[in-house]
Amino acid sequence: MPVTHSIRHPLQLLCSLAAVFLFASCEKKIVAISEEAEAETISYEKVSFNNHVMPILSDKCFHCHGPDAKNQESDYRLDTEENAKKALEGGGFGIVAGNLQESVLHKNIHSTGDDMMPPADSNRSLSDSERKTIDAWISQGAEYTKHWAYIPVPKKIELPEKTEWANNEIDQFVQDHFAKHQLQPAAEVSKEKWLRRVTFDLTGLPPTLQELDTFAADESTDSYEKVVDRLFLTDAYAERMTNEWMDVARYADSYGFQTDRSRYVWPWRDWVISSFKKNQRYSEFMTWQIAGDLLPNATREQKLATTFNRLHSQKTEGGSVPEEFRVEYVSDRLHTFGTAFLGLTMECSRCHDHKYDPISTKSYYEMSSFFANIDEAGLYPYFNDDLAPPPTLILSTDAQDKEIAAKSASVKIAEENLTNTRESERSSFKTWLKNRPQEVIWKNKLAHITFDSISGGKFPNSVNLKIHAANNPANKLIAEGKKGGAVKLTGDHAINLNLPKIDRDAPLSVSFWIKPAKRHERAVILHQTRAWTDSASKGYELLLEDGKLSAAWIHFYPGNALRVKASKALPINVWSHVMITYDGSSQAEGLKIYTDGILAPSEVIRDQLTKEIVKRVGKSLTIGQRSRDKGFKEGQIDDLQVFARDLTAIEAQQLFDENSLSKLLVKPHTNLSAVEQNQLWQYYLANYSAKYSTALKSLHKSRTEHNAVMDTTTEIMVMKEMAQPKKAYILTRGLYSNRGEEVTANTPNFLPSFPEGMKKDRLGLTKWLLADENPLTSRVAVNRYWQMIFSRGIVATPEDFGSQGTRPTHANLLDWLSRDFMDNNWDVRRLLKQMVLSSTYRQSTVTSPEMREIDPKNIYLSRGNPARLSAEMIRDQALATSGLLNQQVGGASVRPYEVAYSLKPQKPETKNGLYRRSLYTWWQITAPAPVMTTFNASKRAVCRVSRDVTSSPLQALILLNGEEFVEASRALGLKMLAQFPKLEDQPAMVDAMFRTLTSRLPETYEREIFLKLYRDQLDYYQRAPKEAAALLEVGHAPKSKTIDDASQAAATTLANTISNLDECLLKR
Amino acid sequence: MNHCTGYETSLGMSRRHFLSNLGMGLGGLALSDMLTPQALAQGIMGSPSFAPKAKRVIFLFQSGGPSQLDLFDHKPTLNEQHGKELPDSVRKGQVLTGMSGNQSSLPLVGSPFKFKQHGQSGTVFSDLLPYTSKIADDICVIKSLNTEAINHGPGVTMMQTGSQLAGRPSIGSWLSYGLGSDNQDLPDFVVMNTKNKGGQPLVSRLWGSGFLPGKHDGVRFRPDKNAVLYLNNPNGVSASTRRKALDALNTIHHQQLEKTSDPVLETRIAQYEMAFRMQTSVPEVTDLSKETEATFKLYGDDSKKPGTYAANCLMARRLAERGVKFIQLYHQGWDQHGSLTKKIGVQCRETDQASAALITDLKQRGMLDDTLVIWGGEFGRTNYSQGPLGTNFGRDHHPRCFTMWMAGGGVKPGITHGETDDYGYNVVKDGVHIHDLHATMMNQLGIDHEQLTYKYQGRHFRLTDVHGHVVKNIIS
Repeated sequence: MPVTHSIRHPLQLLCSLAAVFLFASCEKKIVAISEEAEAETISYEKVSFNNHVMPILSDKCFHCHGPDAKNQESDYRLDTEENAKKALEGGGFGIVAGNLQESVLHKNIHSTGDDMMPPADSNRSLSDSERKTIDAWISQGAEYTKHWAYIPVPKKIELPEKTEWANNEIDQFVQDHFAKHQLQPAAEVSKEKWLRRVTFDLTGLPPTLQELDTFAADESTDSYEKVVDRLFLTDAYAERMTNEWMDVARYADSYGFQTDRSRYVWPWRDWVISSFKKNQRYSEFMTWQIAGDLLPNATREQKLATTFNRLHSQKTEGGSVPEEFRVEYVSDRLHTFGTAFLGLTMECSRCHDHKYDPISTKSYYEMSSFFANIDEAGLYPYFNDDLAPPPTLILSTDAQDKEIAAKSASVKIAEENLTNTRESERSSFKTWLKNRPQEVIWKNKLAHITFDSISGGKFPNSVNLKIHAANNPANKLIAEGKKGGAVKLTGDHAINLNLPKIDRDAPLSVSFWIKPAKRHERAVILHQTRAWTDSASKGYELLLEDGKLSAAWIHFYPGNALRVKASKALPINVWSHVMITYDGSSQAEGLKIYTDGILAPSEVIRDQLTKEIVKRVGKSLTIGQRSRDKGFKEGQIDDLQVFARDLTAIEAQQLFDENSLSKLLVKPHTNLSAVEQNQLWQYYLANYSAKYSTALKSLHKSRTEHNAVMDTTTEIMVMKEMAQPKKAYILTRGLYSNRGEEVTANTPNFLPSFPEGMKKDRLGLTKWLLADENPLTSRVAVNRYWQMIFSRGIVATPEDFGSQGTRPTHANLLDWLSRDFMDNNWDVRRLLKQMVLSSTYRQSTVTSPEMREIDPKNIYLSRGNPARLSAEMIRDQALATSGLLNQQVGGASVRPYEVAYSLKPQKPETKNGLYRRSLYTWWQITAPAPVMTTFNASKRAVCRVSRDVTSSPLQALILLNGEEFVEASRALGLKMLAQFPKLEDQPAMVDAMFRTLTSRLPETYEREIFLKLYRDQLDYYQRAPKEAAALLEVGHAPKSKTIDDASQAAATTLANTISNLDECLLKR
Repeated sequence: MNHCTGYETSLGMSRRHFLSNLGMGLGGLALSDMLTPQALAQGIMGSPSFAPKAKRVIFLFQSGGPSQLDLFDHKPTLNEQHGKELPDSVRKGQVLTGMSGNQSSLPLVGSPFKFKQHGQSGTVFSDLLPYTSKIADDICVIKSLNTEAINHGPGVTMMQTGSQLAGRPSIGSWLSYGLGSDNQDLPDFVVMNTKNKGGQPLVSRLWGSGFLPGKHDGVRFRPDKNAVLYLNNPNGVSASTRRKALDALNTIHHQQLEKTSDPVLETRIAQYEMAFRMQTSVPEVTDLSKETEATFKLYGDDSKKPGTYAANCLMARRLAERGVKFIQLYHQGWDQHGSLTKKIGVQCRETDQASAALITDLKQRGMLDDTLVIWGGEFGRTNYSQGPLGTNFGRDHHPRCFTMWMAGGGVKPGITHGETDDYGYNVVKDGVHIHDLHATMMNQLGIDHEQLTYKYQGRHFRLTDVHGHVVKNIIS
């Protein structure tokens, strides 16, 4: 074995090995049937750039001579014709078409000296056949053609001649290759095996005995088609298709990363089921998921579909930087989009221009900005992990909708009532004005802390002795405050005022004097929250941001919150008076900041608050500090007052100057200006009008009731485009904090341009995807479904259609199917039907040694591929054949036995939940279901479009010993015994069980083997009743009380053994 | 039409012969691999590229980030300047975590523990590590490890996979892929974690195969009789019942193989036979009852309790004896943001004796020469206090420098490598990045870390990404 091949991908190694052997015996032609070389016969009479040359250049040369010109040592590029053929700096030309001797490329790839290419230390080398291929290509004119996958699907694809074997067009293309490679198609499988195959492929379940009988008896010409049509209409079909899509969508019931809490996303999975159930066109299926929220008058379903974009892992680890993870989420959306719909490895261009494909870093960030424009947080909250991170869709029930509508109407009525009451109080106001009390009163005052003294570690509250401000002694009382003493804060220590929790329906005002020691980039003045990002900032807070006051009422920041920010910074080192007031309306206009008695010019930063702000929030109004946030270091606070109402403008002024309102109250009413009258009017309503107070209470009550219903609704993460697109930048080396050039949304320039006149948002992006000239969308989808049916894609790397991906084994077939798919409204059922009704699909997995030798990997499909059933199919088959399967469609994910053995063990269900189909198994990203993953289920942390299939002893142990499999064997055994109770029925029982599990009757020798096993076990268990009883205790399903234990135990062993047959576990 | 006879005859034996003699490895085979001779050999490399010093690795991973300043890296300056602010000239603009980054002050904190030189080598340890101190002359202490990751998720992922981003294969998976196993009845990559430990959670992808075939996943051994998921026959099924069932399966599979020559059937037969053998080999290796009292005494009392760190260390030796290539232990609980003084003592009591015992035990058995043992966590801890300075002080995460130790497998014993500044904040000499650690580890196993690659999404990936240098000064 050549040394250079000692460490390589096994497939490459096979390829080169094959080449070595084949060279020995074949002179002119190299038959290299492998995934890398696509088994095309390389005829040096005409080398194909796309099929033969490009794979070599890409893999061996592009790393230094490819599209990433900025990050490579050499200026010389081989990825474009223009560059490859232009004059070299040191003289000469890399490639002179048709002239080997003049081509430096030829010289260098044959050199053993310093100019050897690839260089000795590059970890890359060319094989003899690769050199030969390049030489032949140069000699033949070094023609460059566009990478095959970037050429639009032709309008018309020439069909190869129809033969007798061919059932449909697929077969014509497939058979076209047979002749070239001296292959003969394998025999047709029996009807029963075809039914088994197609039922698994389309529904993930085995056929029932009745279905086998019906099909066997149906001799009509369209009997096969009838089966397919029947299967399409089942729930099981929709579930099977959904299961496949869940890998692509990285569906999981938990957030992933380190902490990995649960998340509520299964309604999205159920939407996918409903979509397949109604055969939604792939174009629409895709559009809704990418951009359902942007469709005109988007329905709830269309919005729900966009949860697809939010199924990436999310972070909550303490101390993480939110922006870092927000960027990560956006990238994941793009990577998933790239892999799922375009078959492009976008990941590579995140830090540098793609080494192999023409995707620049700039293009990466232009593309990613399509997915960035939602008002999301970078972290989900550690303390409030039950909240769905905004933006969300409210999934209210019809009853809730009705109630919300009714309560909204009540709020509206109460608001109108308040306005009317206000007007009706005009006359009593006039009376009051003439005779008004001259003392200022402060209704609903909860606290007044003067910071003049401290006793027992507490600042006294002159209003209510039960509410007090507990100080951390590190915060020192200082003598020279604004009014007497004040407190000076460290920024790391808090003052806690034990106020009751205040929800978003309740008005609140807080007033104090403040003296910042510097212009704070960020500082927490006060808050009633549990934490910052660790609790989504839920509660209310007043911060300094860039030295400016910023007040917020928050359910989940930033997507569900109100925030108002003053336009001007507070002055440094002088005392300012601040009052914030909120009216309980859940509207930003009800949230105001006053500085020095005047309403401060402010900007509304967020204005969407739809849920409570108190659950699991801290019990105090905290001043000066917050865990893991920046405290109000060296800042001073004085004279804090809290009110359970929204104070009026004149009261704000009074709190500042202690004079404005006092002055008005003593001013003769005849001297009052209109403005002054209005100020007193507000003051009167708030403090003296009983009617107004009643109307206000009634409004408060309506809001409370409305909000209470809202709080019972569930929410799910979705996409919701922000009015203003977020600014997007190239991030140098992919680092969130390294912002480079600003970019705007755009598609890569090597693909068709964005549709004329379309807005550059996600909806526009779907139009671009679905444009006829988009070369990838249809090919990628068709290939994925082909892989689902035939186990291996026409392009074996379904995730990579770029230059490093494998070439299509049947390029014309892929194009024909893609064209047909587009021309027929992206109809997935039509596509699948073509596949499963083809003669290609009907072939047996059995073939002759000669055929196997010509095409060991069955790349040309001259026989069936004996693919192992997926993890889900294996488990679902056990449930279905045993009769334990619970056929409920949709709903919350469930915990079968195996979750008890996962890395983070959970308690399994005890009843029906144990027997649901496997797509409903609870998916915990960091500790996935161990049985599923042992059978190669995707782990779902990232988008995956294929699974590797391995065969390990660990799988055998699960099938032989696993609770759910033993229980299923028990149930199947029992079912059979009930049907065949008599001794003389034993052979019939073996037959029925064998047929249930394999879809065929046993051959004589097989029947004998199993009959012997059964009788032997029956004999054993009759002698070992305790053992029999113990076996019948496995699992929750009850044993029969009428049938003897020994028979049940023996039947269990029999069922368990048959179900481990190769043909039970593989598509045969 | 070609007339090649293929590799089988050229290699002078049949495929069947391969299967029956070499077995298939516990990880199993990709069905598509059935046709490649490599799949039947040990690993993709067949054999190491050059003579290896180590045949296997035991990684004693201390999850959470042990405080190097309280265990190994003695800094009297911190005691002298205890309570003073971390100088900006030392911090040099380092980004801190969100946990202490917003503190208004960063007070330096000296270690409350006593440090002393030990052994001929004079290696320094604190009095928290009385047992490790005794093996001072057998180990190489590296004080200059460094990484970029500042939080656990990315940090542990970096240490275990060479990348902060999830999705890359773990060290053990790379070795399984490259070297395969020396024992066909046991997995080549075994993972054990100390049970009932809280702290930063572990996630299964840390021993996952990433984009490598799933057969290279680490196999987790749990501390109960089903060490491997569903290892044992269900209640009521005897070994002879199982044998009979397997015989029935075998007979039919052989018949079908005769008829079809389908190699997939050979895989299936081997798969079930291997499973049957495992039902013996795994209980045998996990059964500690034949260990001597002297051995238990060496590892400490805990070693008799399944699932403890000590029991796992002893198990690691047993697995190593039987040729398991990569044995990964996890011990959580080193994340001491507060009450460090108390909590680190607990951690050391749980791990110190058994870690040292493993080295001593391997040495006594002549296995230390070809077994590489690595001890350490994902990063270090800060020289300043997280939260206010007091008796309950804690230390935050610190990626710029931390300490690990290595022993055996051709690593020089009794040396200390790398230095940090007087504040224990920055590396000043012989920095060792995690990529370098990985490169060195692979080198000891006879692998050039730049050569073991796997093509995924069009790119040739490797454990060390595009970095890593073998630390020549620590290997003999």
